[in-house]
Amino acid sequence: MNFFTSLVVDFAYFLNSSQAYQRKKRFFYDILENDKYQYKKYFDIFMIILIFSSVAILIAEVKSEINIYLKIFNIYVISFIFFIEYMLRFWISSSVSEIIINKSEHAAALGRKFYLYKALLSAAKVKLGFVFSIKAMIDLLAILPFFHELRLLRLFVIFRVFKLFRYTKSFQAFTSVLATKKFEFFILFIFSSIVVFVSSVLVYVMEAQNPKSPINTLFDALYWSIVTIATVGYGDIVAVTTEGRIVAIFVIIAGISVLAFTTSIVVSAFTEKLDEIREIKTIDNIRRLKHFYLICGYESVAQEVVRKLKSTKTSIIVLDEDAQRVENAKKDGLMAINYDPGDIESYKKIGIDIDLQVEAILCLRESDIENVYTTLTVRSISKDVNIISLLMDDANRNKLKFAGANEIFYPKGLVGMISKELTGRPVAFEVIHALRNDYYGVNVEEILVDDRMSKNILYISELNSAKYRIILLGIYKKSTKRFFFNPTESTMLESGDYLLVIGNYTFMREFEKHLHTKIKR
Amino acid sequence: MKNRAALIFGYNDYALEIAKNIRDEYENIYLYSLNSEQDTLKNRSDFEVKSFDLSDKWDELNENIEIEKSIAFCVLEDSAENIFLTISLRSSFPDLNIIALSNNKQTASKLQMAGANKVIPLVQTTAEMIAEMLQKPIIKEVFHKILFQSGTLKIAQVKIDEKNSYVGKKIFDIDWSKKYGVMVLALVNKDMSSEFIYSSKIKHHVVDKDDVFIVVGYETDIKEFEKITGSRCD
Repeated sequence: MNFFTSLVVDFAYFLNSSQAYQRKKRFFYDILENDKYQYKKYFDIFMIILIFSSVAILIAEVKSEINIYLKIFNIYVISFIFFIEYMLRFWISSSVSEIIINKSEHAAALGRKFYLYKALLSAAKVKLGFVFSIKAMIDLLAILPFFHELRLLRLFVIFRVFKLFRYTKSFQAFTSVLATKKFEFFILFIFSSIVVFVSSVLVYVMEAQNPKSPINTLFDALYWSIVTIATVGYGDIVAVTTEGRIVAIFVIIAGISVLAFTTSIVVSAFTEKLDEIREIKTIDNIRRLKHFYLICGYESVAQEVVRKLKSTKTSIIVLDEDAQRVENAKKDGLMAINYDPGDIESYKKIGIDIDLQVEAILCLRESDIENVYTTLTVRSISKDVNIISLLMDDANRNKLKFAGANEIFYPKGLVGMISKELTGRPVAFEVIHALRNDYYGVNVEEILVDDRMSKNILYISELNSAKYRIILLGIYKKSTKRFFFNPTESTMLESGDYLLVIGNYTFMREFEKHLHTKIKR
Repeated sequence: MKNRAALIFGYNDYALEIAKNIRDEYENIYLYSLNSEQDTLKNRSDFEVKSFDLSDKWDELNENIEIEKSIAFCVLEDSAENIFLTISLRSSFPDLNIIALSNNKQTASKLQMAGANKVIPLVQTTAEMIAEMLQKPIIKEVFHKILFQSGTLKIAQVKIDEKNSYVGKKIFDIDWSKKYGVMVLALVNKDMSSEFIYSSKIKHHVVDKDDVFIVVGYETDIKEFEKITGSRCD
């Protein structure tokens, strides 16, 4: 390896291992290309505003003289911003240093001589691939008005509108849907081209000789043919001879077929892709959620849990591999995706941050095998997320625990425990049941002691719960992580503690208000 | 001689869990199976498995069991059979306490119509517990301990004796939590329904003999409270 080559390779290694360089590149990648990046939408909105203002200035310029600053803004400032954006996209589209390193390591591994020019050629090929991509070409054309001395180039401002494709997902979805029918559109194009070509030649031959006919050139014939096949029929150019009109009849019939064919292609493309588009939209919405419960498996217990959780502000997302159950979840007004909750790929596709976004994962399939599998999958992604699982057979309890479930609900065991209470203390059991389920307007609540509250009320004796007809069952102390039943009056209230209170809903709200009201000491 | 017994109809995991949990309450627990021969063979529990038929006239029960003091659990897995069994038992024994298990809301209301004293809605109860765990984890933990676990915090039904010094006093004026360390949650009505202690209906209630209160407290405090006020009537 000669001196220059080794210098370039060393520099490539330097760039690849430089954290500052990679961090900057990553930042620009996120802001330009990464849909999951939270600030990308602000950049997109900024670019959309630039595009619209640019087009608005172009329109205003047509019939009136515009302010010189606006002109400068449109020609220089916007173009310059677009140019910077283009260069950044060019930079992040691929990594030249990585290509050089790969090639040199490949050559070293095989004991071959490393040729720098070959590596640079590969890098250039990749970069050219970017330059000649449709999106990049539109970007480049949108910068051209910068060279405003060439008056024609100023019209390229209109290309800036096409840049909208980059920033609006619905446009991208629209083109991706139509792209699935490339073959059908190609057939349609060939058919229409043949009809247009044959009919324009025929009508030219039939009409051009006739002095009364408005079709005098082949271009007139082509124009007439396209207007007719498109079923537009302006009527500015019409066939006047009988032969010409016979051609027109065929072109009109062909036009109807072309229109019907086009409509059916577009409709079928959207019908076929509708579920996919909806799924993309659902995933997009899920990614935006800050907190949610993830229910894996939408069977009877899951349906009931959802009903119970409806009052909560936290959203509920359903994952199930069964299409019918997903449909049921959607009917119940939930965001649901037809993915297998036991597959790691499902979580990658959704692109959520389990630790940050998911409050709890509920494995509610009525099959221990499925629940163990899902628990294990989720635990392999996140060590800390709270996993709650249903257990159908007590023999599998250890497996579920081993897989990483934090809480296990065993309905059969629950029936046993309830039976015990119903035979021993039936009325006491009913009282607790009524309290838990907010019967008779009386319920039990946890009130978080926040900073303000802990400053207002220092001791339990200051709560004045009896005045609000509230029973203070106890206090959960954050510091000791213990529940203290019937705390003494001298117990201190600290931020982060929870008060467990029982009372009428209305009185409870009044009590909460009282807790937040500043006490003058 | 007739026995006080717990009769569990259906041989399955639910039946075994029930039997395991109520063995301290009932000396005689009988499991009844529709396929007794098969179930007797696979029975690994200490409980006796007897056979029954849905067309049974229950003569054996009539002869050997003290029906008024006994309890029956209907936990057949087939909902229709479970409802039929409940109706059959109710028509033969009007005073039998019947607890039935239901898998869904529709079955729950039918079981009630069929004469069950109490229906355990399996799916709803499980869902309630899960939802409570998510929304009110501390409450779930505390109540679970009070109800189901052998901790020191207990819930009890306490009856007021005639000689009690609180008889004649307004319920609202008494602070039992300070004095005895127990909290009175509710008052049990004559029809065994209960009323929250701060509800407007019993706000001005005057303590009377035979009043039954639902109290929560530590085992020792409840015992102390019983000594002074009356007796436990669990």
